[in-house]
Amino acid sequence: MVADSSRSDAGTAAEPADDRLLEVENLQTVFHTERETIRAVDGISFGIAEGETLGLVGESGSGKSVTARSIMGLVDSPGELLPDSSIRFDGRELTGLSETQYESVRGGGVAMVFQDPLSTLNPVYTVGNQIEEALSLHRGLSGLEATEKAIELLEDVGIPDAARRVSEYPHEFSGGMRQRAVIAMALACDPDLLICDEPTTALDVTIQAQILELLADLQEEHGLSILFITHDMGVIAEVCDRVAVMYAGEVVEQAPVVELFENPRHPYTRGLLRSIPSTQRGADRLETIEGEVPTPNAPATDCRFAPRCPEAFDACREVHPEPVPVATETADADADHTAACLLYPEDETREQAVDRHAIEDAPPGAGAVDSGGESR
Amino acid sequence: MSRWSYFARRVLLMIPIVFFGTTITFVILRMGPIDPAAAVIGASGDTEAYTSVRRSLGLDQPLWLQYVDYLRDLFTLQFGYSWVVNRGRPVWELIGVYAPRTIWLGFWSVMLPLFVGLPLGFYAGLNPNTLSDYVASFGGIVWRAMPNFWLAVIFVAVLTQSEQLFGFQWESWLVETNIVTPPELQRLWVPENFFGAFKAILPAALVLGSASMGNEMRIGRTAVLETKNENYVETARAKGVPGRKIVYKHVFRNALIPLVPIITGEAFLLLGGSVLVETVFSINGLGYLFYAATINADLPLVGSLMFFFILLSVGINIVQDLLYTLIDPRVGYGGEGA
Repeated sequence: MVADSSRSDAGTAAEPADDRLLEVENLQTVFHTERETIRAVDGISFGIAEGETLGLVGESGSGKSVTARSIMGLVDSPGELLPDSSIRFDGRELTGLSETQYESVRGGGVAMVFQDPLSTLNPVYTVGNQIEEALSLHRGLSGLEATEKAIELLEDVGIPDAARRVSEYPHEFSGGMRQRAVIAMALACDPDLLICDEPTTALDVTIQAQILELLADLQEEHGLSILFITHDMGVIAEVCDRVAVMYAGEVVEQAPVVELFENPRHPYTRGLLRSIPSTQRGADRLETIEGEVPTPNAPATDCRFAPRCPEAFDACREVHPEPVPVATETADADADHTAACLLYPEDETREQAVDRHAIEDAPPGAGAVDSGGESR
Repeated sequence: MSRWSYFARRVLLMIPIVFFGTTITFVILRMGPIDPAAAVIGASGDTEAYTSVRRSLGLDQPLWLQYVDYLRDLFTLQFGYSWVVNRGRPVWELIGVYAPRTIWLGFWSVMLPLFVGLPLGFYAGLNPNTLSDYVASFGGIVWRAMPNFWLAVIFVAVLTQSEQLFGFQWESWLVETNIVTPPELQRLWVPENFFGAFKAILPAALVLGSASMGNEMRIGRTAVLETKNENYVETARAKGVPGRKIVYKHVFRNALIPLVPIITGEAFLLLGGSVLVETVFSINGLGYLFYAATINADLPLVGSLMFFFILLSVGINIVQDLLYTLIDPRVGYGGEGA
């Protein structure tokens, strides 16, 4: 059930960051409204190695989709990426690219599959037309050649009778079929990285399993890297090599998938895992995490999870935790498990740990923002 | 293909509509207070002349027989002769004289909004909340708010005094035209004649199309704003489609769908609205003819013109269905699918 975690070796901290296909560093995406500035993504860092699947998990409103759109360069005014943010794809810095420069990255390098297959296909063009559009943009195919390739792609994603289906309109497809067609469209671009933004959320469970299986097959076939965004821990367990847990615009814990499920360190991750029905057999009531994800509108000066955290103590409201390595439990020695919580590192006393977080919070990463910030 | 069988069904449905339309026209004309025989003989009140006119016009026949004759004549396009307005002249000849002016006026008052209002609306929708958007949107409201009869009078007043107001004479500017006469519509294929006819109709067409222009601008703006936030537009961006192509391939065609009924709806309004504008600009078109025929109780003329208008509306409806069928492949999928 759990994906092969040995592949995550490629993403260990020891290795130079540039070797990974995608390297996101201190990504900060803010949205300016009349009243305030919403820090939808607030200084997150992660990377994806070639052929790896990274799961991005968190509640609604934690900034998962904004992260995906930031990578795709789809953040429009009133949203913007703050200047310290860095997104490197295949060694190329993507932040600051012009719209035209970005067009070659979109699709060609990074393709995206969206949440709702009912609305992601243009209703007035045939499915084939929309796949062929991608083919002509990224592979220079046109006419009969493109149609043949489109049929081939539709067959690849398991659409029966593809030769006939290629000339049908989206409304003639069922939900699962449409998501397959959207995936075919993404593949038509021949990407290295596929971002899946909750691709199965709108589908029923049997179709969901089929789509996940399809993605796994395609990944193997094309050597794709996948960034898989979901709020469903069950899906994470099934498809990911590594997992980053997001909360209120920040990555609070990052670990290989087996490690995360067996040894969750951050109280939020524990809460998430406890609220999966299938892992809690025998329990009378399913546990929930009380409250809602806050909307961050100022640089963090505390732990954003503290108000909902069962293990919070006084310092949690004064010191902003930074990701620190934590002890691993699985056999995989260099598992690269980090958590952003004042409880860690666990081999230090609580005071030492808090001081460490306080010091790490101050220098460059957050400092540049804070100097111009309003709340300190 | 189900789209085209849907279209065929829509066209067939037009036949009963024409039938009912003409029937209602007959009922209103014959059941109403209009006495055509009295109108023909005028104010003399001569009873003998009155009965003889009634007989010669066939008004003494039973009503159902008159109805059958009326329908037969209309559907075989035998419109008969005018009784009062232009006594003895074939209706066809009258339509031949008056209709081109109205068609010319109607054509341009549909085209001007289409080629001015719509692009402005699309532009405003693509650049929302910019200065140009505000200018265009505000202009749209102003155009929409000005009533035709008032705007027509102002146009006539301003243009006849263009010499004093702007320092050039509109009438002799580029080509010699009059402001308040029917346009010359002979030999339009000669560029000079075409331009002259265009210039002559321009003020009237602007007035008649003013509300449509504002409407189409505002609805075009909303439609574009809505469409460009659709998920499929983001998907297109995500697969690297260049911005310009996104606009003309993915945004425009979808934004046109809600606009089709607006545009064809405006075309209907122009039929009725043209009477006012034709009167102010003395265009003497169908609107004027219909008005004259109605107040003079010229039954064959009124009936034939009504029939003509019914056919025109039905024609516009068919054009609307055709546009729908062309633009939106989901047409004909009633209820099922989004």
